[in-house]
Amino acid sequence: MTTPTVLDSAAGPEQAPSLSRPSTPRRPRRSRPRIGTHAFLLVLLVAFLAPVAWAIVSAFKPANDIIRDPLGFDPSAFTLDNFAAMFHDVPIGQGFLNTAIVLVAKGAITLFFAPLAAYAFAKYDFAGKNLIFGAVLVTLMLPTIVLIIPLLLEMKTFGWVNTYQALILPGSVDAFAIFWMRQVIAAVPDELLDAARVDGCGEFGIFWRVVVPVIRPGLAGLAVLTIMNIYNDFVWPVIVASSDRMATLQVVLSTLAQNITGNRIGADYATVTGELLAASSIALIPLLVLFIVLQRHFINGILAGSVKG
Amino acid sequence: MTTTALPSAARTRRRFSGPRTRRRLAPYLFVMPFVVIFLAFSVYPLIFTARLSFTNWHGTGAAEWVGWGNYAYLLSSPAFWSSLGNSAVLWLLIVPVQIALAVIVAVLLDSAKLRLRGMYRVAFIVPFVTPLVAVAQIWVVLFDQDHGAVNALLGAVGLPDIGWLTTSAWSKPTLALLFLWKTTGFIVIILLSGLQSIDRSMYEAADLDGASPARQLWSITVPLLRRTIMFAVVLQTLAVFQMFAEPFVVTQGGPYNSTTTAGYYLYNHITRADLGTGAANSFLLVILVMILSLAFVRLLRAKD
Repeated sequence: MTTPTVLDSAAGPEQAPSLSRPSTPRRPRRSRPRIGTHAFLLVLLVAFLAPVAWAIVSAFKPANDIIRDPLGFDPSAFTLDNFAAMFHDVPIGQGFLNTAIVLVAKGAITLFFAPLAAYAFAKYDFAGKNLIFGAVLVTLMLPTIVLIIPLLLEMKTFGWVNTYQALILPGSVDAFAIFWMRQVIAAVPDELLDAARVDGCGEFGIFWRVVVPVIRPGLAGLAVLTIMNIYNDFVWPVIVASSDRMATLQVVLSTLAQNITGNRIGADYATVTGELLAASSIALIPLLVLFIVLQRHFINGILAGSVKG
Repeated sequence: MTTTALPSAARTRRRFSGPRTRRRLAPYLFVMPFVVIFLAFSVYPLIFTARLSFTNWHGTGAAEWVGWGNYAYLLSSPAFWSSLGNSAVLWLLIVPVQIALAVIVAVLLDSAKLRLRGMYRVAFIVPFVTPLVAVAQIWVVLFDQDHGAVNALLGAVGLPDIGWLTTSAWSKPTLALLFLWKTTGFIVIILLSGLQSIDRSMYEAADLDGASPARQLWSITVPLLRRTIMFAVVLQTLAVFQMFAEPFVVTQGGPYNSTTTAGYYLYNHITRADLGTGAANSFLLVILVMILSLAFVRLLRAKD
């Protein structure tokens, strides 16, 4: 940017057309496909939102109407019966409570210890650093299912099956969080840390008062991604904590689906369907609200979660 | 690194001898909580799986060492290969469609002049943030053969009912639709970030030369986006071959094992307490997934 040659090559092609032919080159790309573009995107938009919208609307229909006339909606028949039946039949309140407990504990552990360890990896030299970080990279590439059998056995050995510890500790401070936060913290200038050190700041103080405020956007992305992953997590909870008392929201939900596919003998199909849609709608809402409020952080988190992982 | 660190370290030593020791010890304390969790819940289980895969342990009693027996059993088992086959078919149904669709959507959304682009972007991400289990259940109801909304829609336009979840011909496309619906917005976001690094001036030049939008998409965008596209392909390949929760909730692997994916087959060993075979299966899956990822990375490099 500082040398004129770089500036020339960057600005050159952009300037040339605007000097010679000001408006003609852009027009074909801009105006012609506009209607087609919107038609196409709107069809997709409907397809992407319809299942969720249909589920939420149907949850307020009488159970028999959902299966008799899945496409219709009669506002005069609006009912909360499905929700009442669902709260009565499945421990969804307990599911919400369990998810909330796991979310707070696991989220806090991850969001505190992952940046802390990442700070050490990014800004210090210590024995075993490369070995440990190499192991982190290997785990990043491993499918999580590889660990499930031995983890389950480990939980049995500890007597942790159907406990909060089992839901909270495995998978917290995950390799990805370390990897991502290390990238983020590596970009913090060393001068900033040295200046704090000269001012007499302790090592943890540097992390807490200098690094954390600087990396706040990255932390927000990690927070949102972590919340989303914990809230939606299903495979590990269903394997390690499927008792009624410990089931997380997602596990409670999955039992309803199994009722539908015939595991619950004698269950009335319409009733179960109504309950299932009511439960699914309730489960969707917290994340949807969070997403709408924190869109930008969500997109940053999702993006970093993919590109760096 | 060391040359720049030395003077400041020397200075620190002269001025504060206490802090210098603390500076040496601090990183160990900082990584300790992570390392404990990492050793306990990642490294140890991994080593355990490796050992387990050479035994016939069923969860109780003594484990008998069977050498490569579990691996040999799986590699000669039709059920194992059929689970890989099911995943491969799902891959074919999902990945090409998804990438094509996502590239088109990302390019359309990338235009700064497009109205409502914020709204579209948010709407396309909604499926990705919704809990999979909730959505999978909605799928069960939507695609029910007798009472579902999808067949009702088909009936409204005079088409016959389809056994989306009850016939082995349609069960995979139904799962593929769920997967496409759930994750395409995610791929769009990834591609959008890739598009941001493309130099705008290339399009201006192409416009000058009279290249059509379709031509520009194919000749400029796709080649320059190749890295990002390949990354998305690798990511989705991993996801498809590990797919578990979708068949678990929607089809329980049926009908006639038509949706017993590689991930779901692995779970079957756990429910039968056949832990040695399960461990061997998970390693075979890891190896397969790594080979596939490396193949895609090679493909990417070969063209560079």
